[in-house]
Amino acid sequence: MSKGILVFAFNNSHINYISQAIELSKRAKRHLNLPVSIVTDIEIQNSVFDNVIFYNLKSQNIKQYYDGSLSNKGLAFKNDARIAAYDLSPYEETLVLDTDFLIADDKLIHCFKQKNDFCILTNAVDIAGFRDIREFCHVSDKSVQFYWATIVFFRKTELNKIFFDLLNHIYENWYHYKQVYQIEGRTYRNDHAFSIAIHIMNGFVDNDFAVPIPGSVLYTTDRDILYEIDQDDFVFLIEKEKRLGEYTLVRTKNQSVHVMNKFSLDEALKNE
Amino acid sequence: MDERLEKAIEISNIMKTLSGQKKILKEKYQNDLLFFYNGSQFLVTYDLISFCNTLISLNQEEHILVDDNGIPTLIENIEDFRSKIVDTYAQASNRYYTEYNKLKNKRSIKDIIDL
Repeated sequence: MSKGILVFAFNNSHINYISQAIELSKRAKRHLNLPVSIVTDIEIQNSVFDNVIFYNLKSQNIKQYYDGSLSNKGLAFKNDARIAAYDLSPYEETLVLDTDFLIADDKLIHCFKQKNDFCILTNAVDIAGFRDIREFCHVSDKSVQFYWATIVFFRKTELNKIFFDLLNHIYENWYHYKQVYQIEGRTYRNDHAFSIAIHIMNGFVDNDFAVPIPGSVLYTTDRDILYEIDQDDFVFLIEKEKRLGEYTLVRTKNQSVHVMNKFSLDEALKNE
Repeated sequence: MDERLEKAIEISNIMKTLSGQKKILKEKYQNDLLFFYNGSQFLVTYDLISFCNTLISLNQEEHILVDDNGIPTLIENIEDFRSKIVDTYAQASNRYYTEYNKLKNKRSIKDIIDL
């Protein structure tokens, strides 16, 4: 059965998602020994990708991108391709990853060895430890469980085809579902769409359509700064509680980290 | 600034950094304690090891264990399973012990972060 990683990368005026995807691909090959396919809207000639899949985006949002706690910019956020992952993936077993995920261990290989046909990230751990994480527990205060579309594993099964078709339906009727699930904010988010679809597939109750990705995954938000990448060692400046513009140094070793500050990720990749 | 307060704040910053590193280390330990067997996932705990020991003392050769995702799994050779989870536990704990001890004696942010 074919196995591989699918990554979505659509640059905007300031963030180079393609270079992040190149880094992800190199790390995926080193730690997981898996082929990587990229879905994008521009021509790429880079041998780190086994397939380059062209995709015409349906729309784009504007999102505030933070670069540490003191700086932010409103930029184009092109995120509607992920719902087409089932049809786009050339693999029977696919691991979908965000480009800002720095792989530094081989834990994710177990997704392919486990029995469940659909796994998604649920156990994400904030490196800072003090921040309000309610938005990552439920899609809103009175709504359903939150799932991270940052890491999704699926096999091509009839049930998963229904799931991804449902995602497309939710995307096309986003305003309705946003209201029903009491989601605040205007921006369409894959995390929310996946959470809603899982809730529906579960029979509108807590159930086991989706099981957690093995282990936990560390994350830093866009209020933190990635200071340095040295192979599988990463140094971060983590925002301090109630101290705007002040940071605590943190180093991770051989642990994968989801880095949400895209500006500092781009910068660190240039300096690597 | 009062010198006494200045020194205390310096220590406070070191302790904050140390606590962040300990948290990351503990998270790695929890991930290292995961054992994968026939497509199922088990967090190796004292309970799991003791339960396997109980089954072995009752001369059980195979048994059903429920994994971390609630999936029942047939363990065909309990002794072999016990030996592997103890190995996983030992490796993870040794690594945690070594890294933790390296960390706990460090007294400057530069040392803690290895800059």
